[in-house]
Amino acid sequence: MTPAIEVHHLTRRFGDFTAVDDVSFEVGAGEIFGYLGANGAGKSTTIRMLCGLLKPTGGSARVAGFDVDKEPERVKAGIGYMSQKFSLYLDLSVRANLEFFASAYGAHGRELETRIGEMVERMQLGAVQDEVTGALPGGMQQRIALASAVLHRPRIVFLDEPTAGVDPVQRRSFWELIRDLASRGTTVFVTTHYMDEAENCARIGIMVDGKLVALDTPEGLKRTHAPGRVLEVRGPRLAPALDSLRGMAGVLDVSRFGSGATVRVDPERLPAESLAEWLRARGVDPLEMEDSAPTLDDVFLALTARAQRGED
Amino acid sequence: MASTRVNRRVGRILAMAGKEVLHIRRDIRTLYLALALPVVMLVLFGFGISFDVDHLELAVVDQDRTDLSRELVRQVTAPQEFVVVQDGTSPDEAVGALRRGTAMSVLLIKKGFAEDVKRGGAQVQLLVDGADGNSATQALAKAQALVEMAGRKLGGSIQVAAPPLEARVRTLFNPDARSAMFLVPGLAAYLLAIVAVLITALTVAREWERGSMEQLFATPVGRLEIVVGKLLPYLGIGLLQVLLVLTVGAWVFDVPVRGSLVALSLGSVLFLVGMLGQGLLISVVTRNQVVATQVATMTSVLPSMLLSGFIFPIENLPPPLKLISTLIPARYYVATLRGVLLRGNGLDVLWPQLVALALFAALMLVVATRRFQRRLD
Repeated sequence: MTPAIEVHHLTRRFGDFTAVDDVSFEVGAGEIFGYLGANGAGKSTTIRMLCGLLKPTGGSARVAGFDVDKEPERVKAGIGYMSQKFSLYLDLSVRANLEFFASAYGAHGRELETRIGEMVERMQLGAVQDEVTGALPGGMQQRIALASAVLHRPRIVFLDEPTAGVDPVQRRSFWELIRDLASRGTTVFVTTHYMDEAENCARIGIMVDGKLVALDTPEGLKRTHAPGRVLEVRGPRLAPALDSLRGMAGVLDVSRFGSGATVRVDPERLPAESLAEWLRARGVDPLEMEDSAPTLDDVFLALTARAQRGED
Repeated sequence: MASTRVNRRVGRILAMAGKEVLHIRRDIRTLYLALALPVVMLVLFGFGISFDVDHLELAVVDQDRTDLSRELVRQVTAPQEFVVVQDGTSPDEAVGALRRGTAMSVLLIKKGFAEDVKRGGAQVQLLVDGADGNSATQALAKAQALVEMAGRKLGGSIQVAAPPLEARVRTLFNPDARSAMFLVPGLAAYLLAIVAVLITALTVAREWERGSMEQLFATPVGRLEIVVGKLLPYLGIGLLQVLLVLTVGAWVFDVPVRGSLVALSLGSVLFLVGMLGQGLLISVVTRNQVVATQVATMTSVLPSMLLSGFIFPIENLPPPLKLISTLIPARYYVATLRGVLLRGNGLDVLWPQLVALALFAALMLVVATRRFQRRLD
């Protein structure tokens, strides 16, 4: 089976600025592919090129079997796109929005009714379908936007930061909808900067300054880019101790949260017991220490730090 | 196959148009404004801005004080075009009134007037406040006509002595010289230009601002379909406005429709399409509602008022402006409307105007659609 998305050396420059720099990857059919990066890392620019909205400066991409540069219209007919800037018509009712997007993709008559009915049920929009879209809460609007992006049953759907500014509960239910889409065979290409969300993705690409610096499953990324053992520590006089901990042999990363910190160590060079001993000796006593798992945050921070140091 | 493609295309255009109608219904005040504005402005302009001169304040200095001189004053003031505000004052006082602005003109009848009439060589003197050139010219022409008419009735001839002034009075197809006759066609063009250009510029710019344009570009709706779908409802509103303006013109101001309805409809549609196209081009280029409004005002509203022949006759424009006016579609629409309404012209006479309107409309649509790239770069 051919991949849903194939990207080869895709590049986009705006004047002197290279927004997307020689990016290559493939996304399989039915996969949830996460595209991570800080603001301005080139996520939206990549999506816009893949949706046929922006002409690549170099390289090529095939989406749903068509070249995005040469046959953008065919690409558009086969994909759904939910842009970052909120793009429903807020002055129209929910139903009017759905009807408009369905007919923009060529549905009409009974087919249009069936599809809207089905989508209203799946996205649980029945109660609000006659309301003015702009009057609804953000999480609801996000669901409507997703519904209008997939009404025409595209093979691939591109979601550009779909959960930005939505509360955690709504985000979770939104991700259930995304997983539901994927389980029905739709390929989902989603950008986000919430690392916890990215765990839902089958594979993740990480963009830093226009370059795709890593691409793997969440577990693979953690193994490669955040190796070692992660220990969560708490205790008195932690702050000064942490400062001198940084740069110590065997310490890979130190990051603080609230009243404690996570320390990632290379267990070969610095066993947990030695770290505990060292901390107690610095007055962190009583010390609480427990094992924790590396997160995508650790991966992201490690990759960003490496890029800033200019390594590659 | 070809027919299903056309069907799909029509379907998408209708989807766009239907959505636009919903927007208009959501914001119904804009629609009311679009329909009420022309009527209100027509009535205000029609009654308020009158280029006719009547009820002119006249100071009479009758030094003759005979039946004949009094009869002359009665004759001159009978048609209500002059109203006597001072009578029997001295020449100095009358000129003072002219200076203060309480009188617009002075009729001076010297002693011995009645005898001169009988001898057949009477003269009266007319002084007109020349500060307002247009009114002065008209007042002079009217006074001259009235005095001469009165002279004939009184059985002699009276000459009006006044500083020589060049008068241009156009009364050929508008025998009563009523301003409404001229205003209605000009006003119709002006109002349509405002509404069509402004509303389109705003609605399209709004899609850019909101980001929904990007969403539209990601759908298979083609740019021509976006353009046509978006413009159709406003074309409908525009034509409704034309009807409204003509109806009010006919009812309130007795402006007739003497000529070809085909030429009238064709001209209106072509003019509207051109104006909508211009609005579209503005919004495609500016992508911003505030800037779009300003550009629309500069490029359509002002020229449609000043360079279309609505207020200033095109023949009287200085050559550079006259040249610019050939690029203003309102000029051709005003000419078409005046031709149809007042002169009773048909396609045979008006075709050059319609061709000009069609060229402008085509140019605007082609340029706007070209500039309207369905890509974001």
